[in-house]
Amino acid sequence: MSKNILLYSAILIFGLIAPFVFPAFKVQLSILCVLIVLATTWNIQGGEMGYNTFGNILFYGLGMYLCASVQVGMFFPLAEWTESGGEKTFVHTPAQFFQGMAVGLVVAAVVPTIVAGLIGYAILGLRGHYFAICTLGLGVAAGEISGGIEIIGAGQGFTTPPFPEVGGLEARGEFFYFLSFGALILTFVAVRAIYSTRFRLILNAIRDNEDKAEAMGIETMKYKIIGWMVSAFFCGLAGGIMGGLVGYIDSTDVAFDGREMGVFMVLMAILGGKGTLWGPVIGATVFHIFKEGFWTFFLGWQYVALGVLIVVIVIYFPEGIMGWLREKYPEKFGEVIDEKDRKAQVELK
Amino acid sequence: MKISRTILSFISAIVILFSTSVTSFSKVVGDKIVLGAAISLTGKYSSNGVHTQNGYNMAVDRINNMGGVKVGGKTYKFEIIYYDDESNPKRAAQLAERLISQDGVEFMLGPYSSGLTKAIAPVTEKYGVPMVEANGASRSLFTKGYKYLFAVLAPANLYLDVAIDLAVEKNNGKPVTVAMAFEQDAFSQDVRLGVLDAIKRTGSKKVIDDKLPKELNDMAATLVKVKQMKPDVLVVSGHTKGALTAIRQIAEMKVDVPMLAMTHCDAAKLSKQHGKNSQYALCASQWHKTLTYKDNFFKDGMKYAADFEKEFGYDPPYQSAESSAALLVFKDAFERANSFDQKKVRDALAATNMQTFYGNIKFAEGGQNVDKPMVLFQVMCDGSGKCENKVVAPTKWASAKLIHPIPKWSER
Repeated sequence: MSKNILLYSAILIFGLIAPFVFPAFKVQLSILCVLIVLATTWNIQGGEMGYNTFGNILFYGLGMYLCASVQVGMFFPLAEWTESGGEKTFVHTPAQFFQGMAVGLVVAAVVPTIVAGLIGYAILGLRGHYFAICTLGLGVAAGEISGGIEIIGAGQGFTTPPFPEVGGLEARGEFFYFLSFGALILTFVAVRAIYSTRFRLILNAIRDNEDKAEAMGIETMKYKIIGWMVSAFFCGLAGGIMGGLVGYIDSTDVAFDGREMGVFMVLMAILGGKGTLWGPVIGATVFHIFKEGFWTFFLGWQYVALGVLIVVIVIYFPEGIMGWLREKYPEKFGEVIDEKDRKAQVELK
Repeated sequence: MKISRTILSFISAIVILFSTSVTSFSKVVGDKIVLGAAISLTGKYSSNGVHTQNGYNMAVDRINNMGGVKVGGKTYKFEIIYYDDESNPKRAAQLAERLISQDGVEFMLGPYSSGLTKAIAPVTEKYGVPMVEANGASRSLFTKGYKYLFAVLAPANLYLDVAIDLAVEKNNGKPVTVAMAFEQDAFSQDVRLGVLDAIKRTGSKKVIDDKLPKELNDMAATLVKVKQMKPDVLVVSGHTKGALTAIRQIAEMKVDVPMLAMTHCDAAKLSKQHGKNSQYALCASQWHKTLTYKDNFFKDGMKYAADFEKEFGYDPPYQSAESSAALLVFKDAFERANSFDQKKVRDALAATNMQTFYGNIKFAEGGQNVDKPMVLFQVMCDGSGKCENKVVAPTKWASAKLIHPIPKWSER
């Protein structure tokens, strides 16, 4: 127990001082936090529940557009802001910016949750590959549809409100870092709390044998929907933060970016070890570091390097880093091998 | 949990990794002025990204070889740090941040495309880093009140409105019917706005207004409609792929239309790739080698084109020319500011008023270049099938007469 507290406080302290110790890396650290949130929430479906979804990007993109729209729409006419060529320039006062952001983030989290409930009701009856393909369509469709809606900028994209003139040069970076770090802590604590309840066992039961779980009297549909709504809540939040951080929302390249973010969240969870609490966290961190490294040292070949990394992961760490550790050091995971029993079984043969 | 220690050691490993990789060098090292640029080396804009990079490199070499930049009695040479933004705005914004806060870059060159420029501008603005960009033409870039953004090109809404005027003129001043197909991206949508303005101004009528997907490689549906509606003008814009797709499918489907107006014909090397099929296409361009602007570094357009061809093996599209011009603007501003102070350089940039081989450059309040008109050229082929781009409008620069209407496919 004491070790746990030590670990958590170490992470917390690292998180709090990081932007001051490594000021140049604030943006990468903020993105890392967002990536961890995405991987952790994907793991609820893909890891714990056994439903491989490519649709979580829908909630991320939705949150991004919602947060920015609310932030602008609360104070200025949204249509004029996004109007291409917009002849007028609106400037948020600091108070407007932060109020808008606060309300925007709430909306960005809540609306996707409701959407997840509705869509989940419609499609969570699908299983296996059918579900995966269906969710793949969701993200693609959302990108195309949002690219045609004029009020959010359509193909022109949506420039989010610029950060107001408060604090120094570093204020913007620090603000978004602590926002994303806060989202990370919130997500982690919430998911950890959920995993310590019966809920996780039910999700695992659905993964291992859904029919049996149903036969045992579990309303699997209800839990599947709730699980997806939890993911959507945090995905939307992460999207809202990311929108402000990037400063420019494009329908298919930034918001509903299924080709990158949508795939990355799956990769990170698998790399770290799906179905574990820490797996996605470690996976996202390792992935982000490798990715940034490749992008720096193998310019032009970065995707080839990333491809090789993925192949290596699949071949050598099919269970992810956590799975590999668990196999190598089972005792550290609280799995005790009874030597006597093992020998006895061997001798029986 | 027993895994705590593993995770703890993992965290410390990250800490060590981060702390060893903190390297920061500043903008002027020794005799070098380091500029930063995020360029699309991969992804959907990769061909235009390379045109941009070639343009930058060509100008850097030329300026460095011709004595460099003189500031405070000392001579400096340009150097550019490139990153690949993968044609992705999110990546571009991160890279801008990285160039400024990690690599210590204090002056930036623009990326390729309006969308990516839109993503980078808020970052450079926040840090007060002057950026001279050559490939972000979207009008909304210049209405956001950015103080550190300077574009050497004319805004996107001015690309093709001339074509509509031209069509009306050829129609004896009577309104025309217009079919439009534009890619769903910041630049093309702005071109669309310009065309819409022109339609309104001339009392013309739009009969088709289609949106094309990004990464487009099929627009048959639009062309079927064009065949049915028989508009007077067909306007297509969608970067390089848009131009290539349009020409390929118009030829395949034998679509007859009196005027075909497009963007990016030269970047797509249309006349080379599609030869006679691309004949008569009318293209908006920021620059053409036959224009008679001059400067001391590249002399004039023809000389630039010849030098470029020698170095990179193809005729320079306007994307390369304008990118080269961006460096000339920076050099001029540094020398006039006589300092590397970002504010002073910014003010010097704002006061720019010069002629380059690419055109006159003078920035408006919003940062766009107001001293350089667009030109329209038409792809024209001779009997042997050799095709060339010839400027047809405005009349001041025209080297050939517009061929209108385009002959029917059955008569070619």
